[in-house]
Amino acid sequence: MPKYGGWAGKVLRVDLSTGKTITEDTIEKYKDYLGGTGIGYKVIWDEVPAGTKPFDPENKIIYAVGPLAGTGAPCNGRTAITSLWPTCWPKPLVASGHMGGHFAAELKYAGYDAIIIEGKADHPVWLSVSDGKAEIKDARQLWGQGIRRTTIEINQQMGSEASVAAIGQAGENLVPMSVVINSYSHSAGGLGGAMGSKNLKAIGVRGTGSVHIAGNKGDWEKVIKLHLSLLGANNQHVVPNSPQPWADHYNAGSRWVASAGRRWGAAAPDIDTGTCEPHNLNRIAYRTNNAAFFLGDQAWRYTVRGNGCTACPIRCHTMLKVPAISAKYGIPEVGQNTCTGLLFGRAFFKTFPDGPKGQTAIEACMVGMHLADDLGVWENYGQMQRDFQALYYNGIFSRKVPEKEFKSYSWDKYEQGDPAFLFELLPRIANKDGELATALGLGTGYLLERWGIPEQEWLENHELLYWKLGHPKHHSNEDAGQCGVIINTQYNRDPQCHSHSNFTRNGLPIDIQKRLATELWGSPDAVDAVGAFTPMNVHKAKMAKWSLLRKELHDSLSLCNWMGPWVASPLKEREYRGDDSIESLLYSLATGDKKSRQELDEVAERIFLLHRALTIRGMGMKDMRTKHDTVPGWVFADPKDKAPFSKGTIRMEKEDIRLAMQMYYEEMAWDKETGSPTNATYRRLGLGTVADELLRRGLLP
Amino acid sequence: MAHHGEISTRILSIIRSRSDAGQLVRTEEILTALQGEKFLESEDVEHRNHLKTTLNQLLQDNQDIREIFDRNGGCFYYSIRSMSETYAGILMWKSENPLRLIAEVVRDNSKLYPRPVPFACFLESPFDLTREDILKCLEIMGEEREYQDIAQTVTSVGTTFLYSSRHLDPDHAAMLAEWLDVGQADNP
Repeated sequence: MPKYGGWAGKVLRVDLSTGKTITEDTIEKYKDYLGGTGIGYKVIWDEVPAGTKPFDPENKIIYAVGPLAGTGAPCNGRTAITSLWPTCWPKPLVASGHMGGHFAAELKYAGYDAIIIEGKADHPVWLSVSDGKAEIKDARQLWGQGIRRTTIEINQQMGSEASVAAIGQAGENLVPMSVVINSYSHSAGGLGGAMGSKNLKAIGVRGTGSVHIAGNKGDWEKVIKLHLSLLGANNQHVVPNSPQPWADHYNAGSRWVASAGRRWGAAAPDIDTGTCEPHNLNRIAYRTNNAAFFLGDQAWRYTVRGNGCTACPIRCHTMLKVPAISAKYGIPEVGQNTCTGLLFGRAFFKTFPDGPKGQTAIEACMVGMHLADDLGVWENYGQMQRDFQALYYNGIFSRKVPEKEFKSYSWDKYEQGDPAFLFELLPRIANKDGELATALGLGTGYLLERWGIPEQEWLENHELLYWKLGHPKHHSNEDAGQCGVIINTQYNRDPQCHSHSNFTRNGLPIDIQKRLATELWGSPDAVDAVGAFTPMNVHKAKMAKWSLLRKELHDSLSLCNWMGPWVASPLKEREYRGDDSIESLLYSLATGDKKSRQELDEVAERIFLLHRALTIRGMGMKDMRTKHDTVPGWVFADPKDKAPFSKGTIRMEKEDIRLAMQMYYEEMAWDKETGSPTNATYRRLGLGTVADELLRRGLLP
Repeated sequence: MAHHGEISTRILSIIRSRSDAGQLVRTEEILTALQGEKFLESEDVEHRNHLKTTLNQLLQDNQDIREIFDRNGGCFYYSIRSMSETYAGILMWKSENPLRLIAEVVRDNSKLYPRPVPFACFLESPFDLTREDILKCLEIMGEEREYQDIAQTVTSVGTTFLYSSRHLDPDHAAMLAEWLDVGQADNP
């Protein structure tokens, strides 16, 4: 019997240059980093020299999951993939992508907590991982194929239960804006090119093992039940979007869209989603329909069902069946995805003949999903599409792209909102076909540099949502004022943090949100009503720290930060409280390594600190405050020139944001002048050797 | 007449089952049901008074049973086992007239969350108004003093939202409407 439950106990290391595979002991090397991004950052710190480029053989790709992956814990399907980031501009730095689906659980059942990919194969290969056995296989027959066919081919060899993470043509062609996808729609953005640079087409994983739970079975099941009872809909929206008999609260902006009479119209027979009373745990999967949320009521008639990840009842990937598209575009009538993946095709267009939620918009979504999820093109939280619109309508394409090539695109189709235009564009991005497509595939930062466009233009334009380092914002001041701003300064891509936005968008009245905020962050003033922001205070800094640590904790445990944390709930009898200790309860019982909420948060802080150290080492400077943690100009502007902190604006005030960063650094016990962690902070969190290396490099404050 | 205990049990069952079905029940409806089922022999003043006493006792003895009054003093009963106070309030306003229904829902949302309410939400259950009903109500509201706080804002994609100027500034309401209608989907 292993000492700990939760972990599979082994990490697989695959050297594609030599073809050798070895295993390492997870507990011995990585227990203090949990798993997921924790293992990823640790490997990059220890093994990938600063200055390495993303497509160099010396770069490594770490697929890692956490001790909760493959257990019965809700929402445990996340795989973190960490590497040096191809779209991070002007200098590649560490970052991670996260995919749901079934890869995480299969990897655990196969006996591994992580796969470290290193070197470069001399011809296309794929990696087969099955019940403790790893084999590097020839992929020359798969090279050039899309993700779907690759997945099918590998499933035919490994069995239909295998989970296949594959790249498409975009990754093969080293397009930085490319993805890895498993289970047909679960993608990790930004990493396709890194896989392609190693000649690694896919990883197939299949396991028939199980995950050992160390704790008492009854206690474990009790915590699982508690966790399930706290779930809302997607993004932990805890109120329905229309009045329901049982509900005291509702919010038109909620992703909890189920209601009597709203039916999955393309299911056979069709299914009434019903009132979904929150104590009826068997109805959780009916609450969310992200197609209806994003595309409007007409999506209901095309809905087959929800799809999603291992052990997650939320089913945020909505499966649509749109019969008209088969004859019209020659593509399958069924597709599925969520959020920006669902909107991939629609987001390129400014207008559609029948409006933003009409039939044509739905068809654009179907065409977009069909192409992007097969070619493996990434949208970078919609930045590719925002860039595309701006570059076209501002006349930049026509100036920067050779005339003959520019005219080869059917711009009349584009302006009219014809989804068929996507057949011209997306394959060319994946194949680096021409200047326009090649530049778009680089990502925003490198595109702007290639075409001599000052980044400043993007930094000042609110509509573009561009933040820094070639990447957009992801839940910033629009969601949580200064807290959102702080969070968006911290990563080397969009932060992908939902801890704060899942709270502020939960749909509860502001008085209840403030009561919960008092319990969590010490004051009702930690949160403001949307569009009614108030000046900075220390409780907002505490919320920012908590949000970041929970994100990193989730990414390391394999919990979904698109769903959690679960600090609010739909339960009136709990006064809408969730449970801030659910992660530590699950971790302690699964692994047998008993940790309180605070103790587990400290581990998350260690992991986040290692990310910070990697950023400092990668940038070769300690002045994070002015060189890394930057805020774009649009944050300090308002279209009506409304003053900061007046009602109806998300505009922030520069001096207040300076104070916000200062308070945040104080909360983190980092140096206030540079925003760099101090020697003492590294040591307090068990990263003394990291501090020593930074000291040697002159990178400690 | 049936035994008092049997009547109480039956009344509880009526209230709870109506709540399970998403409906309020009036005193008169309970009386009619009891008579129809021969729990009461005829509709007379004595029975009505007795029923009121019984209902008051049930309210005291059963924590889930609630009463709610409309502006005319009409009384409705429901069980919070399956119906929230908010939903009961909506049904009660709906029973009065659509003007009150729209105004009170809009005011509640503007005050509590705060947020404006999309026009289209009144087309759906439990409101079940037609587009014409709503437009007519808004026209009347524009003229009646009681409803002068009910205002409209239209988003960039043409969706109308309603808000109460007692609780939301016009700019704040406009920004929140845009956020609900466009912003959240563009910032998923």
